[in-house]
Amino acid sequence: MNEKKRSLLQNKGVQSLLASLLCILAGLLIGYLVLLIINPAGAWEAIVTIVENFLYYPSPQAQIRYFGNTLVKTAPLLMCSLSVLFAYKVGLFNIGAAGQYVIGAGACLYCALAWQMPWFVCMLAAVAAGAVLGAISGALKAYRNVNEVISCIMLNWISLYAVNVLLSQVKETASPYTLTLSSTNPGALLPSLGLGDLFQNNRYVTLAIPLTVLVAAAIWVLLEKTKLGYELKATGFNKYAAQYCGMKEKRNIILTMVIAGGLAGLGAAALYLTGFEQWQTTHSSIPSMGFNGIAAAFLGGLNPIGSIFASYFIQHITNGGAYVDKTMYSAQISDLISSLIIYLCGFVLFFKSLLDRRLARQAERAAARAKAEKGGESK
Amino acid sequence: MEQPYAIEMLHITKRFPGIVANDNITLRLRKGEIHALLGENGAGKSTLMSVLFGLYQPEEGAIKKDGREVRIKDPNDANDLGIGMVHQHFKLVECFTVLDNIILGVEPCRHGFLQKADARKKVLDLSEKYGLKVDPDALVEDITVGMQQRTEILKMLYRDNEILIFDEPTAVLTPQEIDELMEIMRGLAAEGKSILFISHKLNEIMEVADRCTVLRKGRYVGTVEVKDTTKEELSRMMVGRNVEFVVHKEPAVPKEVLLEVEGLTVASKLHSNNAVRNVSFSVRAGEIVCIAGIDGNGQTELVYGLTGLEPVKEGKILLKGADITRAPIRQRSTGGMSHIPEDRHKHGLVLDYTLEDNMVLQRYFEPEFVTSAGFLKRRAIRAYALRLIEQYDVRSGQGPVTIARSMSGGNQQKAIVAREIDKNPDLLVAVQPTRGLDVGAIEYIHRQIVAQRDAGKGVLLVSLELDEVMALSDRILVMYEGEIVGELDPKTTTVEEMGLYMAGAKRKGA
Amino acid sequence: MMLLIQYTLIFSSVLILVALGGCFSEHSGVINIGLEGIMVMGALGGALMMKLLPAGTAAPVMILLVVLAACALGAVYSLLLAVAAIHFKADQTLVGTAMNLLGTAAATVFVKAMNTAADVNNVSSIIQYIDAKRSFLVYINGFEFNWFMAITVLALVCSWVVLYRTRFGLRLMACGEHPQAADSVGINVYKMRYAGVLISGVLGGLGGIVYITAGVSEWMFENGVAGFGFLSLAVMIFGQWKPARIALAALLFGFFRALGNVYTGFDLLSSLNLPSALYNMLPYLVSLVVLAFTSQKSRAPKAEGIPYDKGLR
Repeated sequence: MNEKKRSLLQNKGVQSLLASLLCILAGLLIGYLVLLIINPAGAWEAIVTIVENFLYYPSPQAQIRYFGNTLVKTAPLLMCSLSVLFAYKVGLFNIGAAGQYVIGAGACLYCALAWQMPWFVCMLAAVAAGAVLGAISGALKAYRNVNEVISCIMLNWISLYAVNVLLSQVKETASPYTLTLSSTNPGALLPSLGLGDLFQNNRYVTLAIPLTVLVAAAIWVLLEKTKLGYELKATGFNKYAAQYCGMKEKRNIILTMVIAGGLAGLGAAALYLTGFEQWQTTHSSIPSMGFNGIAAAFLGGLNPIGSIFASYFIQHITNGGAYVDKTMYSAQISDLISSLIIYLCGFVLFFKSLLDRRLARQAERAAARAKAEKGGESK
Repeated sequence: MEQPYAIEMLHITKRFPGIVANDNITLRLRKGEIHALLGENGAGKSTLMSVLFGLYQPEEGAIKKDGREVRIKDPNDANDLGIGMVHQHFKLVECFTVLDNIILGVEPCRHGFLQKADARKKVLDLSEKYGLKVDPDALVEDITVGMQQRTEILKMLYRDNEILIFDEPTAVLTPQEIDELMEIMRGLAAEGKSILFISHKLNEIMEVADRCTVLRKGRYVGTVEVKDTTKEELSRMMVGRNVEFVVHKEPAVPKEVLLEVEGLTVASKLHSNNAVRNVSFSVRAGEIVCIAGIDGNGQTELVYGLTGLEPVKEGKILLKGADITRAPIRQRSTGGMSHIPEDRHKHGLVLDYTLEDNMVLQRYFEPEFVTSAGFLKRRAIRAYALRLIEQYDVRSGQGPVTIARSMSGGNQQKAIVAREIDKNPDLLVAVQPTRGLDVGAIEYIHRQIVAQRDAGKGVLLVSLELDEVMALSDRILVMYEGEIVGELDPKTTTVEEMGLYMAGAKRKGA
Repeated sequence: MMLLIQYTLIFSSVLILVALGGCFSEHSGVINIGLEGIMVMGALGGALMMKLLPAGTAAPVMILLVVLAACALGAVYSLLLAVAAIHFKADQTLVGTAMNLLGTAAATVFVKAMNTAADVNNVSSIIQYIDAKRSFLVYINGFEFNWFMAITVLALVCSWVVLYRTRFGLRLMACGEHPQAADSVGINVYKMRYAGVLISGVLGGLGGIVYITAGVSEWMFENGVAGFGFLSLAVMIFGQWKPARIALAALLFGFFRALGNVYTGFDLLSSLNLPSALYNMLPYLVSLVVLAFTSQKSRAPKAEGIPYDKGLR
């Protein structure tokens, strides 16, 4: 192996990319095997359908329109994945993104439907609600030594039931769904900025999409370029060292969870304020958006920019799952694939260290050979 | 008549990626002797013992037991051959009782159910026979370090081990406890047990060992009869040149008081009583004050209280006249206190950060390194790190962008020393600054500390190494059970006298 | 009132079983966040067995086979955690989370495929077991005694004996507290950790089948087990990783959960006219508050969550 190729493989970014692609491939492969077991006849067709997603439609217009739909749901997923990623960089596992997302949905919908607020107020309310929930986990961790994973899990369920109660007051009389924004308060719908027209009049394509990408970039800058990022990461890597050099590690833990919670809350606003979905007040399980955020964060190599692509990919196959032949398979097959991908992400670290060790051994051997050759020449 | 060999390790070679930890080492242990294994940190002593104990497999060489070649694949094999080991860091489960720890791995059982009654009797008999006093029902977390060590020894005896390895057993003991241990070791040898005694302390080897094998940088240097050699010769074999046990320094010229501590009391995290009790002292500019004592007598907590890592319960701390008793850590640091922490991995470094990011750990918030908008000035950080690396000779694979974790312990410590000294503090608090370093790095750090003093700074040094205390300090304060029990002058005192204070056998009003 | 006791007991049984599962896993040194997914898998195994067995199967045979099926599937599924955490040093929280999602997704896909294969128009993820469930019940003066309660008590006693009175228990706990010490006396840490995780799979799977037969006679697998695995983790922490205390904690949490099912039967509570979601929320709220006051000095196994590497000592 030549020098250039080796140094390329040693690059952490390249390694992450490779590892992620490997996870995706393995996930799809196992998904395909599952399909084969269930019904061999349509398995290949189904897996192609999942990967194709909107390309399933024959006309380009429809393709673009449904591409828009995938993007609409990518925006909240990206926010949830940033929420998970941000906390993880500071050494916290924010399994509570799911609950922060739920409470954000509750806050923005209630503001929009009960109080007739304009969209930006609703959005801020969602961010604030998520942030408060995050702050609770952070404070419990910092002051009461409660493991954030456990407190987040409890808060996920608490917020689910709380939001169900809250939004029952603004639901349609005949169904468990909340009132639509377009009929009740069009002012709460996110502005389209003309983006909808680009996607064949898909009115759900709004400001939310560019906004979330900008937020991802901002998170990257915050983590890599600023003093705050330096402090937060130091706290995450080694909280004792952070304390030793005078960083306020308790404040940093809470601050991190506040930001992470706010991000997840913003994600909820980015979906529910488009009018794309209504909240179902009889939800008895937590929406998977927050958990898929964990998948996207790890699949994206824990890099905010990687998250953008990873979120899109996860949402792409999730949407694709809706198109599989229902007489043979269920839509949950894409949930299965994305959860497999999360599982496989657990092996990424091992994969990377394996790669590093191999490269180190090769480099050593190459160096030894070079030395031997040199020795031969001098004699 | 020569006794036969109990264990022979012949031409052992063990390689790790990038390093030969043991290079063709031969060690022969006679039946019933106490055989010392001497070498610096990193000389390959631990690796060799791990090979003997079955934790590593050697690439080359053979092991013979009673003249017959054996293969030791894991600790079970070692145990079957009667080899036992007291590790430097005790391998005891803290929330188990002494008895449970002793029987763990060789539990007497009927149908899988524990039968502890017989085990208890055997333990009590052994403890009587060898004078190893323990309480079998006490939890390990509640007993003293000395009793924990006796538990480890009983673990070996319970397994009827014939070959006993002691890995740096005296590091955590008081001089008096060390004497007791030596007595126990002699007793064991007299009963026919063969003992391997790993140490880098020459006095102890001279006192107790029959023969001594010396390792240096992974290589075998030689084996000598202890009664035919001298300390000086052993140390020459160990480091490969004559070592200066003395640090050259001029007499101190103490000036104004920098640090004043009055009635300091710090609560303990482990026990209900206080770890530091009503301690008062001062440090002047231009002197090195040394806190001596056995590990765990409140030194750590005293430093935590001074530097702000733990809250102070009572008392007062004045730095340059300003009250900093309740001041946050950052304020103490910017106010002129530098701190070389006891545990460089826990406190001193963010191991996953680069070297340059670690170099600015105490200064990243200063305008030199950050814009008013909160963005880091990467170029300034790089330049600063390069200067420190150059000036303090910190060596690493990729310079400023090396991940701190991948650096050697000595260079990690040098980086911390560079960072803390270059902050230009008035008071330097250094806790065990040379722990686990090789002789070259130790000399370097000692010179830096003396240079700080000569530049008119105050130095508070906490050390467990008596040689270091005697060589560096201008004044010695001995801590025992959270109190300062004596103030000594290094020019007039002896190690023996200091030992009495450290063991609590002697005290005077400080 | 009788109903409240009955529900409290059956929900407590679930919590005890699953929390004991978590307890074994954590004592061996592996954090098991994936209990939720393991429960789903156990529930699936048990439900399938109930569906498959012919209607007239004798009660003891039925009980035995259903329990075996649930335990077996739970144990097999827990291998996912064991392999990743023990051999590949994966982040245990991440893997556990993945297992929770995977459990529900896989069960749903499977049950739907099965239902659709039987009837093209049936795309639900529901398995019914009304008849089979009767085998588990014995009526004593209006009190619905469930054989699972007896099994739980048995499991509780066994767990205590195994942990504190056997060689296996002593070695298991040594691996969770100080794996290096265990290794140095010749205990195979990897093997013990596999054992710990597998036991948690067995108990978690058993808990799963108990949960879906408590109070209902059909189960929609899309819903997973509604957070009961997580609640069990809280019970385990509150119980300080000790079987007897876990049982007490489980009774407390089970009581609050039972209130949600039967509060309409109490005049006082139903007159308050609170939404039912509030009762569902109660156990989580209680556990959060309880944890906030008990986590300061936790007796968690010291080495839990840290992958064991033979090379690092």
